[in-house]
Amino acid sequence: MSSDATVAEIPPSPPLEKGGAKPGGLGEWHQALLSRRTFLLASAGGLAALFAPVGTLAATANPWPVLAAVQNHLFPSELGSPGAREIKALSYLQGVMGDLRGDRDEQRFLLKGVDWLEDLSRQRHQISFIDLDPIRREQVLREVANSRPGENWLSTLLLYICEALLTDPVYGGNPDGIGWAWLGHQPGFPRPTRALQRIVGCGDEGTASNTAMRFASSPHPTSGVDGA
Amino acid sequence: MNDFDAVIIGSGAGGGAVAWRLAMAGKRVLVLEKGPWFTEADYFKDELACCRRSVYTPDLRDERHVIEERDGDGWEATSTTESGWDFWNGNVVGGSSNFMSGFFHRLKPVDFRLRSEFGPIPGANVVDWPIAYEDLEPYFTEVERVVGVSGRVVAHPFLEPRSTPDFPYPPTAEHPLSAWIDTACDKLGYRSLPLPRAILSQPKGQRRACEYSGYCGSYGCSSGAKGSSRAALLDDAVATGRCEVRPHSQVFRLLSDVKGRVKAVEYFDQAGKKQRVSGKVFVVACQAIETSRLLLASTGPRYPNGLGNRHGQVGRNLIFSAGGVSHGRLVFDELGEQRASEARVVGPFLNRTLHDWYVIDDPELGRIKGGVLDFLMGHPNVVSRALSERRDDDGNLVWGSAFKRSLETAIRGERRIDCEAFADWLPTDNGLVALDRKVKDKWGRAVARVRLAPHPHDLKVGVYLAERGARVLRELGAKDVKVGVSDSPPPNLVAGGCRFGRDPRTSVLDPDCRMHGVDNLFVADASFMPTGGSVPYTWTIYANALRVADKIAAQV
Repeated sequence: MSSDATVAEIPPSPPLEKGGAKPGGLGEWHQALLSRRTFLLASAGGLAALFAPVGTLAATANPWPVLAAVQNHLFPSELGSPGAREIKALSYLQGVMGDLRGDRDEQRFLLKGVDWLEDLSRQRHQISFIDLDPIRREQVLREVANSRPGENWLSTLLLYICEALLTDPVYGGNPDGIGWAWLGHQPGFPRPTRALQRIVGCGDEGTASNTAMRFASSPHPTSGVDGA
Repeated sequence: MNDFDAVIIGSGAGGGAVAWRLAMAGKRVLVLEKGPWFTEADYFKDELACCRRSVYTPDLRDERHVIEERDGDGWEATSTTESGWDFWNGNVVGGSSNFMSGFFHRLKPVDFRLRSEFGPIPGANVVDWPIAYEDLEPYFTEVERVVGVSGRVVAHPFLEPRSTPDFPYPPTAEHPLSAWIDTACDKLGYRSLPLPRAILSQPKGQRRACEYSGYCGSYGCSSGAKGSSRAALLDDAVATGRCEVRPHSQVFRLLSDVKGRVKAVEYFDQAGKKQRVSGKVFVVACQAIETSRLLLASTGPRYPNGLGNRHGQVGRNLIFSAGGVSHGRLVFDELGEQRASEARVVGPFLNRTLHDWYVIDDPELGRIKGGVLDFLMGHPNVVSRALSERRDDDGNLVWGSAFKRSLETAIRGERRIDCEAFADWLPTDNGLVALDRKVKDKWGRAVARVRLAPHPHDLKVGVYLAERGARVLRELGAKDVKVGVSDSPPPNLVAGGCRFGRDPRTSVLDPDCRMHGVDNLFVADASFMPTGGSVPYTWTIYANALRVADKIAAQV
């Protein structure tokens, strides 16, 4: 197993001028590290059901309806504000989980969390999470959040909900800027015209020829250093 | 037979400035850059690419650092893949200068002689520089013109001596809040100054003027206004026909002979194949940590412990930037209609700085070196802002309607304003770069192991400065103003590791940034700095690299 995953609980912070600094000093950072190690242990599958004491753990045949139900609970549709459905949070998450360059450990962890959730739901209420009413869904998710891996799982799902809500529609969420409009956010221009996978991808293929071309015919005719 | 007059490793502010100068002087130059070559057309205001995925930096699974921190009497080492604490900064043509905010300050004369001015500090290796401000002044001035610095000179007690009356470009457009800062500072008796920027307020050659998208620092520039090494220097260097830039070229070793002279460099190309290229002169400029790593990895018959490392100085005295960030909330509902509409403006820059405490003279602290304060609006990455609402004040997860209400408050209802404090990060015995014995990168090469050893003095200075920044924020109407100062290093503000000096036993480079004992090897990034000054590094790197390039041009 690779222990090299990008951490889910500590997303890369935006490189502010001084923003690369750790957020809250050593204590907080080591706390986060501890969480990270538990998280990896969990996704390695070394322990059975980590959201709660063990029931019978079975792989959920189709995890997507469960994930959709969790997303809709975490980010409900309301009059006047978009929810997980409207921001296409599920298809965004499917994109993340199908990303070949993505974090395999995290992808596995997100799926495993569905099994743990279903297990807990059946232990407590004998039915799937999908069939619970909102009050019971809330109870079960609160119990999930009480375990460190469960907290991490929910926090990761919230992370991708936020991305679906507020990244450019080119990535599959935030259709027509519905999330931006709700929060009065003005995106920067120029906006991306293609998903970054394509940008990254050009490092694999496109750039060799690109390089040769740029050396042969420079984009700039010789310009004076004084300019302007 | 040498392929090139100069082979330059790294295309950031240091490498780009040397390449530009040498190509303009008629030399044949090769620039090896490990990352890809993006242009203005490739840079978008993309929240994922800028800030949430490793697009402009290596995937940590492929290339990482190992960070050591004090743990009782020993050191605890953690790989950055484990912590997510990323020490890469812009591995693309033009380096991290593509993603800077371009807050440009010159060093001041006092920065060249900290030891003489303020005496020794126990536990810190403070030394004077072997050159003076006067040696660098012509180059600071040249950078204003060549890279393009916009601003307005205002006389004040800490104004550094200038050979020209003003900046070649007028200031960039100002945010309505700049006037709030001026008013607040007037009340407090502070001197609010225009902040120079490496951002064009007018077009220059092929580069357009700033288009004020409001997304600058940490985003690549789409107009060419930001004075990155790529937009400002390398494009013009390539246009001479004498400078070749090879992206996707990861240099892993400099080859030296029995006399210690460098003969060639070896690198992995995009396909992972080993390549070798020779030259007359070699210039290392990979940003401080990787520069030291490359030299340490470049063993040879005369240098079994790494090139130029006879006295164990390579990698020593690594420094960052001390200080911190004070910040507060501008709550629209509480500001009144007029001020709220001013606070909402996106695009122009705050462009304000305070130099009142460049030298602190305080009854309690005595006379010590201080620093600068710069103002800016909170980082525009809206995903990160949303993510910080995932938890309540007690650290518990928030979801459902409660989460949505807090997003509405935090993003729709207010804006953050920041005041950053920059202070010297004192060099210490334990602040260093070494090669990790076990951890390798994807090419099988030992990664850099970085030991962090902040000096407690830095915190004192940081708090002193940041508290004054917080006073300004409170005075201009910000709520919940917090002073954020820590001894954690900002990985994007890194220098040292190959300090320059006259004595080969205590320094790696001579005053020309030529390696002691290796007359065809130069270091042109911030590695040369024995002390860092209390401003961001980029302008100094540009200026010094032009100075070093003049020494190189005289030699080849």
